[in-house]
Amino acid sequence: MQLFRSEEDIDEWSTHTGIPVGARFPPEQLWELATRWYDDRFDLDWGRRTVEERQAILDEVGLIGAFWHLR
Amino acid sequence: MDSRDAAIRLFVYEEALAGAIPTPAQIGVQFSLTPQEAGDALRRLQDDHDALVLLPGSSYIWMAEPFSAVASDYPVLSGNRRWYGNCIWDALAIAALVGDPCRIPAVCPQSGAALDLEVRDGELVRATGVVHFAVPPRRWWESIGFT
Repeated sequence: MQLFRSEEDIDEWSTHTGIPVGARFPPEQLWELATRWYDDRFDLDWGRRTVEERQAILDEVGLIGAFWHLR
Repeated sequence: MDSRDAAIRLFVYEEALAGAIPTPAQIGVQFSLTPQEAGDALRRLQDDHDALVLLPGSSYIWMAEPFSAVASDYPVLSGNRRWYGNCIWDALAIAALVGDPCRIPAVCPQSGAALDLEVRDGELVRATGVVHFAVPPRRWWESIGFT
């Protein structure tokens, strides 16, 4: 989960490392995910969210498609 | 999760936010446990609850997501305070949890270009670059270090 300067840099990094390109999207969308995903970490009764709850968060922030399916 | 392990988990996060993820010995002092007992609690939090990630082969915390106990390429700066995220996602999450204005001086892993992000008043006010997730979420926890 890294931040690159451009899509071209991701392509070059993928070629250099041999790691296939996965999903790319703007940092603004990651900000939405970060604020939503971690909003419960300071709850005393924290528990890991269910697959359905995690999928709902991904959907809510617009990360949809086969790459983002948890099952 | 029993109430003491829940309290230990929250203590870890409070300490991380205050500036440093605690060691098993420091947790033991806080909860009147031996370092071994504190380490056992941390292992339960990792193995039974996916609440933490320990450094391999030790009882020391590596990740209390989004916080990293070791330096990474994703520092989060606010005034004279500094935290490390495990990745760009976690760095943004730390900035959200801190609440105060934060800067994330990231570096493009391919070009080496500086990529500064800023968070202020609960908003991402300066953003640049493109996020890349190499691993799909159904496989994030197979090798969390790589992810």
